[in-house]
Amino acid sequence: MPIGGFIINIDPENSIEALKYLSDISCLEVHGSDDHGNIVAVIDTETSKEMQKVVDDLNKLEFVLTVGLTYINVEDEGEGVLDTAGHDLFQAIRDTETEITA
Amino acid sequence: MAQTRREFLKKTAALSAASYVGMNLPYERIGVAEAADVQSWHRGSCRLCGAGCRVEMGVNNGKAVALRGVPDSRTNFGYVCMKGMLFYKCMDHPDRLTKPLYREKKTDKFKEISWDKALDIAASKFAGTVKKDGSNAVGYYGSGQALTEETYIFQKVFRGGLQTNNVEGNPRLCMASAVGGYLTSFGADEPIGGYADIEKAHCFFLIGSNLAEAHPVIFRRLMRRKLDNKKTVKFINADPRFSQTSRIADLHLQFDPGTDLALLNAMAQVIIEEDLHDKAFLNDYVTFKQGKKVSVEFEAYKKFVADYTPEKAARICKGNITPEMIRTTARWFATSKGTMSLWTMGINQRKRGVWANNLIHNLHILTGQLMKPGADSLSMTGQPNACGGVREGGGLCHILPGHRLVKKEKLRNQVEDAWGIPHGRIPPKPGLHTMAMFSAVNKGKIKALWVNCTSPVQSLPNTNLYTKGMQREDVFIVCTDIFPTLTTEVANLVLPTAFHFEKTGVYGCTERRSQITVKAVDAPKGAMPEVWIVREWAKKLATKMNDPVISQCIAPFEGLEPDYALPKAIWDEYTQKLTKGRDNDLRGATYKVLEQMADGVQWPAATEAFALTGGTVKKFVRGMDPMADSEAKDDKPYQFYGHAHPDRKLWIWLREQASPEEVPDADYPFYLSTGRIVDHWHTTSMTGRIPELLRANPYAYVEINPKDAKKHGIRPNDMVEVTSRRGTNTLPAKVYEGPIEGMVFVYWHDMHPDRMINKVTKDAFDPGSKEPEFKICACKINRVSGPKALKPYIV
Repeated sequence: MPIGGFIINIDPENSIEALKYLSDISCLEVHGSDDHGNIVAVIDTETSKEMQKVVDDLNKLEFVLTVGLTYINVEDEGEGVLDTAGHDLFQAIRDTETEITA
Repeated sequence: MAQTRREFLKKTAALSAASYVGMNLPYERIGVAEAADVQSWHRGSCRLCGAGCRVEMGVNNGKAVALRGVPDSRTNFGYVCMKGMLFYKCMDHPDRLTKPLYREKKTDKFKEISWDKALDIAASKFAGTVKKDGSNAVGYYGSGQALTEETYIFQKVFRGGLQTNNVEGNPRLCMASAVGGYLTSFGADEPIGGYADIEKAHCFFLIGSNLAEAHPVIFRRLMRRKLDNKKTVKFINADPRFSQTSRIADLHLQFDPGTDLALLNAMAQVIIEEDLHDKAFLNDYVTFKQGKKVSVEFEAYKKFVADYTPEKAARICKGNITPEMIRTTARWFATSKGTMSLWTMGINQRKRGVWANNLIHNLHILTGQLMKPGADSLSMTGQPNACGGVREGGGLCHILPGHRLVKKEKLRNQVEDAWGIPHGRIPPKPGLHTMAMFSAVNKGKIKALWVNCTSPVQSLPNTNLYTKGMQREDVFIVCTDIFPTLTTEVANLVLPTAFHFEKTGVYGCTERRSQITVKAVDAPKGAMPEVWIVREWAKKLATKMNDPVISQCIAPFEGLEPDYALPKAIWDEYTQKLTKGRDNDLRGATYKVLEQMADGVQWPAATEAFALTGGTVKKFVRGMDPMADSEAKDDKPYQFYGHAHPDRKLWIWLREQASPEEVPDADYPFYLSTGRIVDHWHTTSMTGRIPELLRANPYAYVEINPKDAKKHGIRPNDMVEVTSRRGTNTLPAKVYEGPIEGMVFVYWHDMHPDRMINKVTKDAFDPGSKEPEFKICACKINRVSGPKALKPYIV
């Protein structure tokens, strides 16, 4: 269950739209923002995989310029995900068929 | 986890982020500061790109559990990208190599053997090869990701011990043209300025670089500078492909691949015609060169570029280039209060990469956009230690540590004296550059090769050709690495190594800054640091060859524990003896100094006191660069003491537009270009094993311009063959307004045999730098089917 601290950079002209959008993301908390387009956000997810997906989705948003990570704590996640994984679990992740749709 | 601890960690994360942008949050640190989020924090550099981001790894009970940026670092100011956030996941990965593996034949299965046996085999094979076939039948192929201490000790044993200059590294594939450009334009390798110029620049000229994806944290600094000064800071992006970087450009110049030399010359033409050149600077500091031995006057240069009118250049460049765009670009470049150019592989990985570098430097020299704050000509380094380890530490076939040329006897003797070995021990001629080395492997002329921390089976151009050579049974290959790769598949002996933060050493990043990473956690049991491996191998080598000089090469490092004392001793020898008095003087950058600093030291920095300030922000400037003062020949404020220019001047080069080696024709009507993507690093041997990153981009695709896609009946996700004279890939299509019409783009990270784009690229190389032209070749595309389910592939 990683916790990450981020600076999300937006064009200040889009602040209202951006803050509203971000406040609707359940695993993301906005802790502060300023007039320069900096938004302090904390992302708290079950897995790093989910956190990565959230960051990817943020990067695709038109009003987001960059998403900068400054801190991450994974002490919870480190307790189980890869410990007993071994080759087999990773093989499963690696070999998962991924359908691409048009 | 208890709710209170979770809340505490969230506040810690938020306060950390807020501190980077000077924001006060509506709660205070009380209660947060006193608690500890981890048992210990350990500072180091990120393992990945050449930006040189500084991070701290949080460790609990011997395991990495947290990561944060270092806010006082002058490279990243605390920010980290997603790859940097996740590289720690390589440490405990189940695929980690932990035991030496050996097979006599490459068709046999690997067997686990002891370290003693492994090193004995390596020593026997190399000794036997040298005795039977001579010193030039062996070679070392290293990496811009190896620590400086590792590259240094490897090349010491190979050159001084085995007496071969067949010492090369993968920076030949990425930065050699930048080296050639710096040497021929400025007289010395590596940039004059650095990242400090970003926040003072008023015009950014980004060419041949997708900074937003290749160096995202540095891009962030440019983006911030632009956003904070929308009206006064100009951002020009020159790239045949519209990329993430292009999104914030005021002007995106999109042209046919390989035509940018005409563009750059046309910019010079405008600058001179409109009287925007800096006459005083040219008069005081510049020579015009038409060939190595031919100097000309300014009028000859003016006449030369007069042929490159914007109208002519626009016709050559095609794309969206108009004469007025060229004029605007040139005017912005010349008249801003400080112009900074940044580029990476789009300029370097070219048949005329050195020329392309020269032409960018020409513009800076012509306009005087060079020595002042906010002005610099900066080739962004791809790998984290291509500069420090390979370019500075002697990791290429023609250079010795401290920027010394192999071919100069006096300089070879200096190195031999420093090593305490007889004169004449280092051969007088350079060894084989990378493409020549692997051609020699193909012909069986190199019979024993050590490959360290890199995977040439995937990273060489036209890779099918060279893989055949590496598969030869009469070529013994040793690989040192942390994971299996496509290259360990062709090895006889695989030695497991410690990973970043599992060992101590220095990386030197893009801006001449050397930064230390001290060991924070233990490597998996069985994996060893490279410095130990080389020392122990050399001991056995010395016995088998009955050669006391090999023993002498490692004598200063005998008996030292491998986690700190051994790399420190290597670093001390390199910096105190081999950089003394050289332009990359690092004597002040002792481990003691480096460990005190948030970031590291920009050379030259001959004293600890100067090193602690951060070192030389701008080279050649009196008052900023101690060597500019000590080497001064007159009262001028700039002293160009670079060893490659006896006249101590900057050189403007007359360079023609030159086409790539292979351009589209009737049979292969498309340009193919290749590059990187933000989620992956190089051959994906690391990032492909991190599920979050693999999921983001599980396999390569081919980007096709919508107009081309329509002409060829290709829809998004259709399977498309991309074929050149060398090979074929079959890839899903991404129909996207990225590449210019007539060009397709594929990222090179995928190691699946059907999607490994270096099977398709061409191995032409720059005649000066020997760097291959990965960026441009000719191909054809053909729709083969609709979408198909694909699997990611990691060996």
